[in-house]
Amino acid sequence: MLSVHSVLPSLKANATSNNMTNKINHPELCQWLKSIAIDRDKQAFTQVFRFFAPKIQRIAQSKINSEALAAEVVQDTMSNVWRKAHLFDDSKGAATTWVYTIMRNVTFDLLRKMKANKEDNLSDDIWPLAELANTEEEVFTDHIQSRNLQGIIATLPENQQQVVKGFYFMEMSQEQLAVHLDLPLGTIKSRLRLALGKLKLKLGDPHD
Amino acid sequence: MIKHHPKFELLQGFVDGDLPASLAAGIAIHNNMCASCQQKVSQLTEQVAEASFEQSFHHKIIVNDEENLTEIAEMDFDDMINQITASDDVEPTKAIYDERSIDFKGMQYTLPSALRNIELSKTAQIGKLSRARLNLGEGEIHTSLLHIGPGGSIPEHTHKGFELTLLLAGTFADAHGQYVAGDFIMLDKRDQHQPATEHGCLCYTVANDALHFTQGINKLLNPIGAFIY
Repeated sequence: MLSVHSVLPSLKANATSNNMTNKINHPELCQWLKSIAIDRDKQAFTQVFRFFAPKIQRIAQSKINSEALAAEVVQDTMSNVWRKAHLFDDSKGAATTWVYTIMRNVTFDLLRKMKANKEDNLSDDIWPLAELANTEEEVFTDHIQSRNLQGIIATLPENQQQVVKGFYFMEMSQEQLAVHLDLPLGTIKSRLRLALGKLKLKLGDPHD
Repeated sequence: MIKHHPKFELLQGFVDGDLPASLAAGIAIHNNMCASCQQKVSQLTEQVAEASFEQSFHHKIIVNDEENLTEIAEMDFDDMINQITASDDVEPTKAIYDERSIDFKGMQYTLPSALRNIELSKTAQIGKLSRARLNLGEGEIHTSLLHIGPGGSIPEHTHKGFELTLLLAGTFADAHGQYVAGDFIMLDKRDQHQPATEHGCLCYTVANDALHFTQGINKLLNPIGAFIY
């Protein structure tokens, strides 16, 4: 799991009283989802809602830039959680991955409705929820490919890791990273470029 | 064996949901045929999800990013919870979908599941080329199913934008080699190519500008460029 502290040390100075643990309690999330699926447990749903909704709202707001539409993403995502909880299978992936997929799909369809004026709701065809986890038998013999991406990123120099994790996993812009790390924008850009070059090499990108 | 895969940046965009539907569908089709890209996407999705929902990330960003995020008002969550839980609707455990197929020159092809709900226009033909447009409404980005009959080819061409060719069935070859079903071939304006197929093939193509034919008599064929694109 990513630790924000090790990723962005300069943020420590800005820690607030809200700065509790950044660990996600996965077993608890799974248990709540099961209670929703089996008992239609409204209390459990309230817990799940309180955990995810504010975060979904912020993510959607930054992506769509509209408070009303961000609320729609929250509503649609959480309605799906309520209706589909029985489809969640904790042996196939984390609860966070499952909810992320629903949120990403809802957002995608909403943006398509706005931009392409299409209500074809393609997201579930492109990212099927049921096939979320890779159910294929072990297909990797190459030890480099089978190591997870996190492990590969961990081989980068510390200053490149910060930028990669901030940019890709936390969806911060290069400008935001420059401010947070107190570095010139050019430095952020060149570190990101260097890091991506190395990652591609290690992931065996056939285009390079 | 599949040799051509989407770049890392495209997989990232796919996981984030930031690609146009045309390219996202292309990657979904490729991943269904390519266990290694599917694996990468699963891992990436898990990590992006984890990072998105970590507590302290959001608290800290709020402290720092005053312009955007502090102003988001907390909406009335209690109402929303009541509204959602008032519904008894439950998603069917197993959705059943009809397979969708398309005919080109007497050959029937089952469409990949990522394409099953996209509006398809009538097939148009020039010689050995048949094209059915997928109406995604993405402006200058045009998406099609392109069938090349046995012995057919597309004259050597370049294009101003990007061109994705994803081979769905059959094989074709160009100066760079032989391609098989699942190959995800992304070209940009620097590349020239001239695909030819011995036994016929079906491709999923996405391009954001007309093809431009470059050689001799083929320049006369430039209307085909607009046809294919």
